[in-house]
Amino acid sequence: MDMNFNQHISGQFNADLEAIRNHMMGMGGLVERQVANAVEAICSGDTRIADDVIRREDEVDQMEVAIDHECTQILVRRQPAASDLRMVLAVSRVVRDLERIGDEASKIAIHTLEVSDNASSHLCQQAMRYMGAEVVKMISGALDAFARHDVDGAVEVVRTDKRVDQQYASALRELITYMMEDPRSIGQAINILWILRAIERIGDHARNISEQVIYLVSGTDVRHSSLTEIEEKAATKE
Amino acid sequence: MSIIENHQTHGAPFSDSPKLTARNVGVYYGDKQAIFDVSLDIGANEVIALIGPSGCGKSTFLRCLNRMNDTIDICRVTGDIELDKENIYDPKMDVVPLRARVGMVFQKPNPFPKSIYDNIAYGPRIHGLAHSRVELDEIVEKSLQRAGLWSEVKDRLHAPGTGLSGGQQQRLCIARTIAVDPEVILMDEPCSALDPIATAKIEELIDELRENYTIAIVTHSMQQAARVSQRTAYFHLGQLIEVNPTDQVFTTPEHALTEAYITGRFG
Amino acid sequence: MTNTSMTTREKVEHSMKRRRAAESRFRLYGMASVLFGLLCLVVLFGDILSKGGSAFTQTFIETEIQLDGDYLGLDASSSDQDVRNANFSGLVKKHFRAMVNPDGRKERRQLYSLISAGAAWQLQSEVIADRSLIGSSLRIDLLADDDVDQWFKHDRGHEGEHSRLSELQLQWLNTWVDEGALKTRFNTRFFTNGDSREPELAGIHGAIKGTFLTLLVTFLLSFPIGVAAAIYLEEFAPKNKITEFVEININNLAAVPSITFGLLGLAIFINIFGVARSTPLVGGLVLTLMTLPTIIISGRAAIKAVPPSIREAAFGLGASKMQVVFHHVLPLALPGMLTGTIIGMAQALGETAPLLMIGMVAFVVDVPGFINDPSTVLPVQIFLWSDSPERAFTERTSGAIIVLLGFLIVMNTAAVMLRRRLERRW
Repeated sequence: MDMNFNQHISGQFNADLEAIRNHMMGMGGLVERQVANAVEAICSGDTRIADDVIRREDEVDQMEVAIDHECTQILVRRQPAASDLRMVLAVSRVVRDLERIGDEASKIAIHTLEVSDNASSHLCQQAMRYMGAEVVKMISGALDAFARHDVDGAVEVVRTDKRVDQQYASALRELITYMMEDPRSIGQAINILWILRAIERIGDHARNISEQVIYLVSGTDVRHSSLTEIEEKAATKE
Repeated sequence: MSIIENHQTHGAPFSDSPKLTARNVGVYYGDKQAIFDVSLDIGANEVIALIGPSGCGKSTFLRCLNRMNDTIDICRVTGDIELDKENIYDPKMDVVPLRARVGMVFQKPNPFPKSIYDNIAYGPRIHGLAHSRVELDEIVEKSLQRAGLWSEVKDRLHAPGTGLSGGQQQRLCIARTIAVDPEVILMDEPCSALDPIATAKIEELIDELRENYTIAIVTHSMQQAARVSQRTAYFHLGQLIEVNPTDQVFTTPEHALTEAYITGRFG
Repeated sequence: MTNTSMTTREKVEHSMKRRRAAESRFRLYGMASVLFGLLCLVVLFGDILSKGGSAFTQTFIETEIQLDGDYLGLDASSSDQDVRNANFSGLVKKHFRAMVNPDGRKERRQLYSLISAGAAWQLQSEVIADRSLIGSSLRIDLLADDDVDQWFKHDRGHEGEHSRLSELQLQWLNTWVDEGALKTRFNTRFFTNGDSREPELAGIHGAIKGTFLTLLVTFLLSFPIGVAAAIYLEEFAPKNKITEFVEININNLAAVPSITFGLLGLAIFINIFGVARSTPLVGGLVLTLMTLPTIIISGRAAIKAVPPSIREAAFGLGASKMQVVFHHVLPLALPGMLTGTIIGMAQALGETAPLLMIGMVAFVVDVPGFINDPSTVLPVQIFLWSDSPERAFTERTSGAIIVLLGFLIVMNTAAVMLRRRLERRW
């Protein structure tokens, strides 16, 4: 029997699924840029970039609502099953994570504006720059994995998240040291802390996105699992 | 020839507490083979849904389970089907008591052109289940109540069964099946001729009946299979492709054919 | 594609004209053929009714006759046997002689031929019923001869050369007409008498009774056998070469010319089994052979028409084959079977040819009492009468045809009503 199992009998269904995926990717691209810009703003102290990030946050929110609506439409009209169902669910969840990432990016931008007024803006510069670059890579890695149904890529993102968490912990220790040394820097340090925290959260969301990739491809729900568990599950399902 | 050579059914076709066990069942219509080497357990008190595209053999397989295929002269069944460890194709096995134990509900509601009462009472009468009019009345009432039809028809038990609505007729047929107190109920697309509300009532009924009966249901509606069954078996061109818990089949089917069918990529 | 200049709509419009024309043409053909059929029917019925209607009336001569006890040799205490032996015929002759005073033997014969032989029997039966009439004078309508009957009903007023009556006879008759003695009454004898050589005495009672007995035998044999055969072939017979052969031959049997069945009946029932010829029994046997295929075929069609869903439902509940057939299939198929049977019986009712072969064409005066008495049947009676030279028999032929058609209509109506009543909708 030579049938093309990649195509639905309903062409419109195909198109609808394709549309939510593309829209999600578009949103992902925007969010990725927002994060990259926010990180750029901290490092360079460029308030115009930060302003721009805050302004575009609204756009991300709009996209979330629109894509979620499309997902609802598919659920209502097509009652998708199996891989289609997983696709819709995954897109819907990924979109929510993307929106949260957008929120975090705008938080970073807001704190950047506060920090930029201050002299000791070099505090933890290194860590922020490094972690920022990591999470931007994570986002694009997770989205790539989603586009390619690539479980290995997704697992790699989860691994990176673990590294980001470790960096966050060490940056935290560094900040505490600063604060103990010089209590005047506490206000500044807390701002930096918020920024670091936001970057770390972005990493977590990127990790959530890659978990959805694993769900999409294998049907296994790996949320709230440890890295080793995820690696195991991904390996057995492959 | 079978489509997939040496196909092994994916998933979990066997049950820990089987009511009916089918092993290597093949069905032939004359020279044409309709079912290829199907092995499947139907567990006690479970609802198993048989799905698959038209002509995949799911109805044929269902009809093997109470030997309804016997009425077709050219039909030949190979392999073993056991009901509580008893081979139902044993030459010593009489189909009459077998069909009393394994009842059947059909695609189109088919009440006898008799009164509602006589429809229900027919089975108990021929099998001699009631020794008095009072006992028979009890059976009729109990069956109608179980089928959720009692309150709707209790005032017109002697009206013709064919005068009921489609959904009521189908519940009447289910009540008629229950009246002989079977162990297994086979349903062959029981809702395909009904509107959504009648369908919902039947599905509700199936859910309630699961407590006391083992049910195998053939359906074209995947949503229905998903709603009523605990396990789902996917047939394709006479082969049993996959059997798995229903939620698993509808979220993460194992076999590509199952996936393609339930996502509407063919069928 | 031609006509590319036209839009689809124009093309459709264009073709519509042709289609409408074809449609109305076809309707016209249909109406014409129906009309033709109706016309034929009207002509047929008109002809039969106009010819046969008068068979239901009979001409009588009203007269007052003296029942002379001395002449008859009877008195109030005479036995029935004596009455039967008495010379009523002579009394009638004497009475009419006294009325018109014929001159000589020839004229007397002419006079006597105006009165039916039945007139004497009329008087006889009156006396048997009431002995006190002897010696009194009785006012009675005496049966006229068939020639008088025909003249009175049809030819009076425009006497032609074709009349079988002489000048003298016409003269007497005209006198009686003027006196008001000649009159017509409903012809009860047509329904109560058996066959006779004398048209005015001939009736269809014997034929009707013979028909009834023959059909009774046919029904009692063909219905159970036919239904049983239909059920067996449809439900129980294994599908193999033998049953196929049987089926084909049953269908062929339905198309066999009916006279063949007559020959078969003659050879088997009469010559081999020695069943008495000319009896309703042998007639019924032959007609059974003839109607069986019809009943079997219609019975099988009726069984086939029972929806398989009902069968499945019963099997699904664990009913055995017998229970399915007798509880479900048969009750649903019965209306169809009965209709088929009635139609088969109607066919048998109208059958002549096979009965000719087994001697039911004999001239039988007595009304048959049971299935082993010699008798004839209506269509054969019609055939017999249509062969007779007397004009009055032509009339009676048509009269009998009307009765036969009446029976057929009743039976077919019964078939339709039965089906309406018994048919269940599912």
